[in-house]
Amino acid sequence: MSVHSHPGDETLLRFAAGTLPAGPALLVEIHLQGCPLCRTAVRRFEAVGGALLDAAEPAALAGDAFARTLAQLGSAPMSGGLTGGGARRDHLEAAFSRPPAAPRLPEGLLLPEGVRLPQPLTSRRIGSMIPVSPGVRMGRVHVPEDGQSNVFLFQIGPGRAIPQHTHAGTEYTHVICGGFSDPSGHYGAGDIVEADGDVEHSPRVDDDGTCICLAAFEGRLRFRGLLGVVLRPFL
Amino acid sequence: MSALVVAIARTADREAFALLFRHFAPRVKAFLMRSGLAANAAEELAQETLLTVWRKASYFDPARAAASTWIFTIARNLSIDLKRRERHMGTVDLDAVDEEADETSGETILMSAEREARVRAALSKLSEEQATIVRLSFFQEKPHSQIAQELGIPLGTAKSRVRLALSRLRTLLEDLK
Repeated sequence: MSVHSHPGDETLLRFAAGTLPAGPALLVEIHLQGCPLCRTAVRRFEAVGGALLDAAEPAALAGDAFARTLAQLGSAPMSGGLTGGGARRDHLEAAFSRPPAAPRLPEGLLLPEGVRLPQPLTSRRIGSMIPVSPGVRMGRVHVPEDGQSNVFLFQIGPGRAIPQHTHAGTEYTHVICGGFSDPSGHYGAGDIVEADGDVEHSPRVDDDGTCICLAAFEGRLRFRGLLGVVLRPFL
Repeated sequence: MSALVVAIARTADREAFALLFRHFAPRVKAFLMRSGLAANAAEELAQETLLTVWRKASYFDPARAAASTWIFTIARNLSIDLKRRERHMGTVDLDAVDEEADETSGETILMSAEREARVRAALSKLSEEQATIVRLSFFQEKPHSQIAQELGIPLGTAKSRVRLALSRLRTLLEDLK
């Protein structure tokens, strides 16, 4: 997969700092899986976090803080040293004992042949894909760790446009398959696009195939016209 | 500092742990308080962070990150978890992709220290305003308004200054793998 469009520096920094809300963070996580460049950028920002931590003015701890921590140490760290395979075994066991991620597709979603939903998505509940305009279906991705989040899966037919909308905050779109264009350019699988709140746009999907994409919105989303009325209970 | 974590992994060295605790626990607490946590909660989480350092020392890979960076990511993950718990919601295992570190040599510990020095040098090359911007971007959930307020500039200006500061930081860290 060759990625052309990446999250902005600020988004990657907020991801590294842990301050990016859960919705956009989910998209960044998916993007990072396919993008070594951004993985490196996140690691650099984490190193900046480390340097800031190291330079922080220490805050006084309660007198018994160390003693209390010491009491909880137990006898030995998890694996018994670098030579032991204990931790790794634990890790593997954990991986196998975890309930298998049931890749149950949301109702109404038709994935083009050979396309799979990215891993962090398969473990999440996704609502039914509701038709919202000709050729366009959307389903809400549940992000229970952040009740404020608005993350949607879109399935858009060839040549169709996402209904024109504006948003109060930044909109992040991650392309799972297919491609679309808006005045800022053309985007394909693996790309992440960030659109500022002041942008009003109506991205159009390529003629040669369905586009499945994931969108996260910071702030409320407003669709124009009749669709806005139809969707109100849904948003 | 990296050598101390490695000593814990190798020999469950409690003295090494004491030194790490003395240095990092008060700084983790300060760091968490700056990002909006109450003093009590920050202290709890600082202790939990150091406990995790003890338990997961064998996952630390000095070829990949400095000890301060690794401890930063532990504190960050714990605080994300805490915020999610506070919203009465499930947690996500952010460590699921961690792999145990390979054999550690003196050389990789040196690399780790060098990496740390390089990041510090890069940060020191930022202007004072840019350093403030980077710091606030790290700590604040809504950094733009905070930056605008602290620097006494309009919100729109704050956005473009953030962009400039971060692109300068990116350039300065270019050769850091």
